[in-house]
Amino acid sequence: MDPTIKDFESAIAELETIVKRLEDGDLALEKSLELFERGVQLSRFCHAQLEEAERRVEILTERGDVKPAPTAFGADPGEADRTR
Amino acid sequence: MSDLFSLPFEEDKSRPAAPPLPERRVLSVTELTAAIRGLLETGFGEVWVDGEISNCRAWNTGHVYFTLKDGGAQIKAVMFRSTVRYLKFKPEDGLHVIARGRLGVYDPKGEYQLVCEHLEPHGLGALQLAFDQLKKTLQAEGLFEQARKRALPSLPRKIGIVTSLDGAALRDIIKVLRRRHPNAHLVIRPTRVQGEGAAADIAAALRAIVKVAGVDVVIVGRGGGSIEDLQAFNQEPVARAIAASPVPVISAVGHEADVTIADFVADLRAPTPSAAAEMVVTAKDEFSARVTRLSQRLRAAARSDLQRRRANVHALTSRRGLAGWPARLAMRGRHAAELTHQMGRAASAQIARRQRVYRTLRLRLEARDLRRHLSVIKSRLGDASGRLAAAARLTRHRADSNLASLAGRLGNLSPLAVLSRGYAVCWNADRTVIIRSAGAVAPGDRVRVTLHEGELECDVRRGERHGSDNQGF
Repeated sequence: MDPTIKDFESAIAELETIVKRLEDGDLALEKSLELFERGVQLSRFCHAQLEEAERRVEILTERGDVKPAPTAFGADPGEADRTR
Repeated sequence: MSDLFSLPFEEDKSRPAAPPLPERRVLSVTELTAAIRGLLETGFGEVWVDGEISNCRAWNTGHVYFTLKDGGAQIKAVMFRSTVRYLKFKPEDGLHVIARGRLGVYDPKGEYQLVCEHLEPHGLGALQLAFDQLKKTLQAEGLFEQARKRALPSLPRKIGIVTSLDGAALRDIIKVLRRRHPNAHLVIRPTRVQGEGAAADIAAALRAIVKVAGVDVVIVGRGGGSIEDLQAFNQEPVARAIAASPVPVISAVGHEADVTIADFVADLRAPTPSAAAEMVVTAKDEFSARVTRLSQRLRAAARSDLQRRRANVHALTSRRGLAGWPARLAMRGRHAAELTHQMGRAASAQIARRQRVYRTLRLRLEARDLRRHLSVIKSRLGDASGRLAAAARLTRHRADSNLASLAGRLGNLSPLAVLSRGYAVCWNADRTVIIRSAGAVAPGDRVRVTLHEGELECDVRRGERHGSDNQGF
C-alpha cells in the first residue's frame, strides 16, 4: 500500500503521536496541515487493514502442505461456495 | 525360606560344628555364585519393597542405578531402560517409593540387587509427582518468567490452531471466531491430543505451524477430559515446543480448573478453547476501537486547531486600531507588488540603456583606436619614404661629386694634362718606346715628340748627356 507505512503496529503508534501533537497545538499552520494529512493517511491504512483480511480456514497437513479445510470446519456452506 | 539359613556360606560359631560332610566337595566361586543366584532368584520371586531412593544415578545407557534404604538396611537396585521409559516421573534421591521387582545377582561383583520393574511414588500419584518435577525443572530454567510472555498481535494475519480435528476445542474456536471476527484467517494443524505419543505429536505440530508464513499467534489445546487425558500437555516436549515458538502461544487445555505445564509456559493461558478465541478477537477489537478513537481525535484536533487560528485572527482584527488592517495590508500588498514590478522594470530598462551606451562607446573607442593606428602607420610610412628619398638624393649627390673628383684625378693622370703644362714626350721613331736618355739616340736618328697640341717629327743632331740625378721627372 503505502511504502512509508510498515505495519499496523507502527501505523497506529505514529497516528497516536500525531494526534497528541495536534492536540497540544502550538504548531505552525503548515506543520499542522502536514501532520493532519499524514494522520488521515495512517488512519485510512489501519481501517483498510481491518477490513482487508479474508475469511479463510486452512489445514496444514503433516507433509507441510496448506489446503482449504473441509466445509465442515470452514464458513457456512454459502460462504465456502463463494470462495471455490 | 528356612532352608536359606542352613546354607553353608557363613559359618555360625554359636552352633556346634557342622557334621562332617560325607565327601569334601570344593566349589569354584562361579559355581557358588551361580548356586546363590539360583536360590535368590527362585526363592523370592516378585517382591514389593518400600524404601527411599538414594545414590540415584542414571547412566547414559538409559539404565538407572540406585539404593533403596530405610532406617535399618539398604539394598542396591537397578531399573533397566526398557522399564524406565514407562515411568511417569524421574527417580531421584530422597524420593519415597514402592518398588516392584525381583532379586538378582551380579556375578562379576558378587552383589545381589533388586531389579525393579516398576516404581510408584509413596503417597502422591505418579502423575502428580511427574508434574511437580517437570514444573520445578522448567521454572528453574526461567521458562515461566513473566518477562518471557509476549503480547498478542493487534491484528493477527493468520491464527494457527494446534488441536484434534474432531475435538470440541476446534468447533468452539471456530464458532467464536465466526461470530466475532468474520474475516479471520485460520490455519489448523491437526494432531492427536491424548494417548501414547500425543506429546511428541503436539510438539511437532507446534514446530510446524509457526513456520507457516503469516501465522502470528497460535492456539494449542483440547477440550475437557480426565486428568489422564490431559497428560500430553504436562509433558516436556510440548512445554519445550511452546517455549521455542517465535510467535505468542495461547494454551487452552480442558476446563477452567485444569492447569497444565503448557499453561505455565504459554504466553497466555486461556481457561477454555473458546476463551482463547475470544482473546484473539479481543485484541483485534481493541485495535479496531483504537483506530476509530484515534481517527476521531485526529479530526477533532484538526478542527479545534483551525478554530483556534480563526479565533486568533478574529481577535486581532476586531481590536480597535487594527480594524482597518486587513484592507490596508491588502492594499499595501498590492502597492508593494506594483512597486516591485516597477522597480524591476526600471532596473531592466536602465540596464538595457547602459548596455546600449556601452556598446556605442566601445565601438567608438575601437574606431578611434584604429584610426590612430592607421595615422601612425601612415606617418611612419611617409617618414620612411622621405628618408628614403633623402637617402637616395644624398647617394646620388655623393656619386656625382665622386664622379667629378674621379674625373679630375683621371685628368691629372692623363699625359695630356702634363703636356698642357709645357712638357713633351719624346718617343722613338716607331712611337713604341719613350726616349728617357740622350744616350738612347744617336745623331741622325729620327724621334717623334708629342706636345700638348700635336706632334713633331725631329732628327737628332747631337746628343748631350746630363747627370743621372736629373733623370726622370
